[in-house]
Amino acid sequence: MKKEYVTFVRDFKSLPQGKEIEITIRDLTPGPRKYDAKIVKAVVSEDPARMPEGDLLWLRSATGVLSAKPWAIQVKGEVKGFLNLPPYSSLLRT
Amino acid sequence: MAFKDLRQFITALEKTGDVVKIKQEVDWDLELGAIGRRAYELSQPAQWFQKIRDYPPEYTIFNGSLGTWRRLSIALGLPPETPIRELYAEYDRREQKPVKPVVVKTGGCKENIRVGDKVDLYQLPTPMLHEGDGGRYLGTWDVVVSKDPETGWSNWGMYRFMIHDKTTLTGYPAPFSHLAMMLSRRYIPKKQPMPIAIAIGCEPLCHMVATAGYGINVDEADYAGALGQAPVELVKCETSDLLVPAHSEIVIEGEIAPDKTAPEGPFGEYPGYRSGQTGGGLLCQVKAITYRTNPIMTVIALGVPPDDSSIAASLTAGLAMKRRLVRHNIPVTDVYVPPEGVTHLIVVGVKKGGADVARQIIEIFTARRAMTSKVIVVDEDVDPFNMAEVLHAFAVKCHPGKGIHVTTFEGRANALTPCYSPEERRKLSGAGVAFDATWPLDWDPNTDVPVKSSFTGTFSKETQEKVIKNWKKYGFK
Ligand SMILES: Cc1cc2nc3c(=O)[nH]c(=O)nc-3n(C[C@H](O)[C@H](O)[C@H](O)COP(=O)(O)O)c2cc1C
Ligand SMILES: [Mn+2]
Repeated sequence: MKKEYVTFVRDFKSLPQGKEIEITIRDLTPGPRKYDAKIVKAVVSEDPARMPEGDLLWLRSATGVLSAKPWAIQVKGEVKGFLNLPPYSSLLRT
Repeated sequence: MAFKDLRQFITALEKTGDVVKIKQEVDWDLELGAIGRRAYELSQPAQWFQKIRDYPPEYTIFNGSLGTWRRLSIALGLPPETPIRELYAEYDRREQKPVKPVVVKTGGCKENIRVGDKVDLYQLPTPMLHEGDGGRYLGTWDVVVSKDPETGWSNWGMYRFMIHDKTTLTGYPAPFSHLAMMLSRRYIPKKQPMPIAIAIGCEPLCHMVATAGYGINVDEADYAGALGQAPVELVKCETSDLLVPAHSEIVIEGEIAPDKTAPEGPFGEYPGYRSGQTGGGLLCQVKAITYRTNPIMTVIALGVPPDDSSIAASLTAGLAMKRRLVRHNIPVTDVYVPPEGVTHLIVVGVKKGGADVARQIIEIFTARRAMTSKVIVVDEDVDPFNMAEVLHAFAVKCHPGKGIHVTTFEGRANALTPCYSPEERRKLSGAGVAFDATWPLDWDPNTDVPVKSSFTGTFSKETQEKVIKNWKKYGFK
């Protein structure tokens, strides 16, 4: 079974594909820990068929609207800690 | 206090039929939020959810504390049918006499204590309230305590906080909130973490004052005491010197990082839309969770009015705005904030209206943080609390060409106001408008002002008295 995650992005199109990025994802595995967030290093692709070994990544826009289809994500490792930015920073990739 | 704690309040609601105990298992993931929403929209009782999916039955959730005028009246210890105008008046009277809290050695919130590596936020049945929210909001109907280390000012504000991971929350006390003010003045410059405590499931007046805009250096606890006419009992936190309501169901103790952030939002917000965006919230590292045995988590399934937010704000914002107008020498009679207008639309009654007064009122309301955008100004013949009368006055007395006064501003608009464009939100630019539904002052009452064709407007005192005296004789009830 593929795992499923969700992430929030300003513009679906601008999420860099095919190279390693740092991204905050939320785990959609059912149960009391659903929506747990972590920052990971990962590679993403808009076409899950091109990343058969990947898990599913649902995208939501900055205003929370869900993408029609999930992307694929391959998590390479977890990044400990948080974003070293002051509070109220705009976080989204443009 | 009318009630010592949330449990006494729920018991009172049970007696008047203002709460339903939901025994059927409910999913914390959206089902609970949907039930809460539908209940507000159908004017149903508050809900006490007894069995939450994935969680043991000891952990329950209570939604809708002050979601109707009835429940607000009960929270104040008044009869459930108290008219809105009387509620405003009684609230105003009680607020004149602040009552300092007292510090007690211990309280219900200390029955269970989890500190350090025992902390696991997923122990609590935090709901995912709306589809599209940024996460599970643990702090919705909360009291967030922070303290100014230099003056000792202890602030209570209701701010949203969602779960990031097992020991971390992100929240959005707005940059102009008192918490953010303390953070940016006292902690960010020194790069020190700021202790906060999030109290959940307090006696309802504690939450009510946390939603209200009191001044800088004002301890909201004194006003919870004023409204309850008895001191609030406070107890010290485990990991800081902050004081929290001793009978809270749940207390989350944590520290806001001065230099770190993580995603927060969006959230189905109080104007009735998910009008914000995800952004870098305040990051709170949780140091301790303390809770009563069988803790009851209070939530608000926030959204279109009326709900606890729009009902509570009707009163607190209405009184605050009236006081502000009085300070500016506006000849105000009453201010009513209809819950349907979610503090965006304000009705102001004046003894003497006219264009200048209407313009001044909208300038006063948008001078600092412009959370409000529309004001209807009415003459004394209109009851500001009666929206049917207000709508009638607006329809026929507000001149569509000369009676609409617009003001625009930058840097202080309400970012959650749904009609603002993405660019306006970014720049916090917005506009305010006064709809002047009063007669122009230069109209001659004998020749220019139309006479109102109503029972009190058209008939002599004698005729009115005669009709009232004989009313039942005519066959009316
Ligand atoms: C249900 C509810 C949720 C709220 N959430 C927030 C929030 O997340 N951030 C915020 O700045 N204000 C929020 N508010 C409004 C504040 O509670 C209000 O502005 C209050 O005056 C804040 O306290 P302060 O004046 O001490 O800063 C909320 C109000 C309600 C009723
Ligand atoms: Mn305050």
